[in-house]
Amino acid sequence: MPSRAARLMPETPQLTLAEHLSAHGPPPFAEPASEPGGVASLIAAVEQSGLTGRGGAGFPAGRKMRAVAEAGRRAGPLHSQVGTVVIANGAESEPASGKDRLLLRRAPHLVLDGIVLAAEAVGATSAYLCVHDDSAALRDAVTSRERAGLNRVPVQVVEVPAGYVASQETALIGLLNGTGPRPAFVPPRPSERGVRRRPTLVQNVETLANIALIARYGPAWFREAGPPSAPGTALITVSGTIARPGVYEIELGTTIGTLLDRAGGSSEPPQAVLAGGYFGGWLPLPAAGQVHLTEQALRASGAAFGPGVLVVLPESSCPLAEIARVTEYLAGQSARQCGPCSNGLPALAGALGHVAFGRPAGDLLHWTRQLLGLVSGRGACHLPDGTAGLVGSTLTTFEADLRYHASRGPCGRAARPPVLPLPPPPARSSPPVPPGSRARPEALR
Amino acid sequence: MSHWALNHGAMSASVPTALPAHAAAVVVNSTTPLWYVTRATGLVAMVLLTIAMACGLLSAVGYQRPRLPRFVTLGLHRNASLLALAFTVVHVVTTVTDSYAHIPVQDAVIPFISAYRPLWLGLGAVAFDLMLALTVTSLLRSRMSYRSWLAVHWTAYACWPVALLHGLGTGSDASVRWVLLLTLLCVAVVAALAGWRLAFGWPGRPVARVAGAVVLLLALIAGGAWLSAGPLKPGWARRAGTPPALLHHAAGLLVPGTARETAPVGSEGARAGAAGPRDA
Amino acid sequence: MSRGGAARRERPRTLKVNPVACQGHGVCMELLPELIAADPWGYPLIAPGPVPAKLLPLAQRAVNSCPTLALLLTSPE
Repeated sequence: MPSRAARLMPETPQLTLAEHLSAHGPPPFAEPASEPGGVASLIAAVEQSGLTGRGGAGFPAGRKMRAVAEAGRRAGPLHSQVGTVVIANGAESEPASGKDRLLLRRAPHLVLDGIVLAAEAVGATSAYLCVHDDSAALRDAVTSRERAGLNRVPVQVVEVPAGYVASQETALIGLLNGTGPRPAFVPPRPSERGVRRRPTLVQNVETLANIALIARYGPAWFREAGPPSAPGTALITVSGTIARPGVYEIELGTTIGTLLDRAGGSSEPPQAVLAGGYFGGWLPLPAAGQVHLTEQALRASGAAFGPGVLVVLPESSCPLAEIARVTEYLAGQSARQCGPCSNGLPALAGALGHVAFGRPAGDLLHWTRQLLGLVSGRGACHLPDGTAGLVGSTLTTFEADLRYHASRGPCGRAARPPVLPLPPPPARSSPPVPPGSRARPEALR
Repeated sequence: MSHWALNHGAMSASVPTALPAHAAAVVVNSTTPLWYVTRATGLVAMVLLTIAMACGLLSAVGYQRPRLPRFVTLGLHRNASLLALAFTVVHVVTTVTDSYAHIPVQDAVIPFISAYRPLWLGLGAVAFDLMLALTVTSLLRSRMSYRSWLAVHWTAYACWPVALLHGLGTGSDASVRWVLLLTLLCVAVVAALAGWRLAFGWPGRPVARVAGAVVLLLALIAGGAWLSAGPLKPGWARRAGTPPALLHHAAGLLVPGTARETAPVGSEGARAGAAGPRDA
Repeated sequence: MSRGGAARRERPRTLKVNPVACQGHGVCMELLPELIAADPWGYPLIAPGPVPAKLLPLAQRAVNSCPTLALLLTSPE
């Protein structure tokens, strides 16, 4: 049985199928394969466990699975079961996040177990593992399972083109349907209609790995870690000016301070930590050290959990310059389908450029704040809202810097190499290494 | 429709002594209302279809003025299209019910099977079919996928020129000055607006726009060349495929002149002149 | 024109825009200025909340007039 805190990332990784099976035993498929009792019980188990999606949205996983299973039952002619689809989202497009890549490298079989178990539970007849960078090791893992007869539902590895919005739920569905990796307007929700018009379950690979563990050890075991309102563990990518950047597995509810200490503490005097990635928000240090790592607590403090990302910003960085760069990147990532986003985000990036590198007058700041309201919630995906949230958090948290820039122009700290990671412009198929900033955090600690 | 010109009853007063200089023989028209209605509704339908195209193009480029809001342009587009269809239906009904050239109703919807000027009448059938498809899909727009509706709606770019060619090829009035000018005006309006649309639409597809511009230019040049070598030259009725029986019948009923040459007295005479070269 | 009977009229309906289909033609804001305004780029800004009953026929007309069928009149599920 995995320990409380090192479930997905034990000390000795189980890379091969044999190691995985000896550590966890065979995946508990329902016997016989079509027996409804075993299958329905996995959904119930996941519901009871309180597992929420680890991809950033935090939606209850059990509820999603049940919706897809029920939609599959309704969708067939004369209410017969129609084959649903499972998409495992390992396409990690958040530049500051490295946990999905790491999980797929170090525990691919846990993820694949989760895919197949979830597929059985929701009546899926096909499954796709979507990743930005395909690798021979991953495909070997899939074929070794096929040979062992463990892939009761065929799993296909699909490479997703680079792009911040390409890994969005409906974008992946669009990719698989052939219409392109672009977000789609909802309704219809993926759980009602997705790949080939079938109900589709889209789950992050970390969520699926947790499902694989819940299937074996039960919901009560899962709830042993973390507080009752936020059970389980999560993988957090810590980067920025920190002594040991990397991916850490924590029990939910751990304070930020505890995690940063585990990561060796700041390597320079810090000023704030960005929590939740580029759809998240800022928490000034040292006060942030007390904040618990749960969705609820982070939202209450003005940030977000997101896909589990913490970036430490040092005193020597200009936060306005950093965010101006990030907003420019995010504006360029627009799929250009929705007017408010494809017009509003570049305008916002332009305004922030003036704020960070010029002397922002009062009406520029007013216009910037107006833009935040003009873009939020008016796109098909959350790119505009997330960007607006990040900028809004920046303007609130760093008001002192804003006032400095307004009265005296740029503070000069923008000359420092950037800390917030960004992929290099048009990267192809390589794990992006942000230019001028520290190496992408991938090592396990 | 030129066969309508052949005599159903009363003949015009003047009797020819010689063929007109440019040998565009003019045939006496009949007083049958059906024939007038056919020509008139055909022309009016052409004008209305042009208005519909123009409003559609204005809508596509997003033309908006304080006195011409978008919903007015769209409303005009819709109403002009429906009226054009109405006039076309009358045009078809009068064609079919007038027994002179024996055009049964199926010739009006199945292209190119007619005995009378098969190609040019057939184009009319094509245009009519397209108009029906455009109207039906637009009325049921909310019940079909937007993409399917759009695909059908794009055939409007084919429907309008086909209708125009039909009019020039089958129509009796192609060489009548005011009719020709009206037709050219319609072409000018649509070509200009289409050019505007190509210049300002589809920012992301330069290849398609250039291709569209080339097609537009070629169509205008080809159309102009065909017009001057075809309907505007004498003998068009025969070359267009009027059945020999009708041609023969026309041969004995020639009167001179174009609109300018006929005496203005008497409605029959004036309209005979306005008829233009037809079944000779 | 609201086609439903009185029962249908009583269900609260909200205006939503499909942002992917919307291309900023601007017909909706001409037809329903009470509820739809233009943002700086010509895209619709819809007043939040349910559509008042007396504006429902106009809202339906606006929905029917959208060239790309991007405006939607939905009932909360």
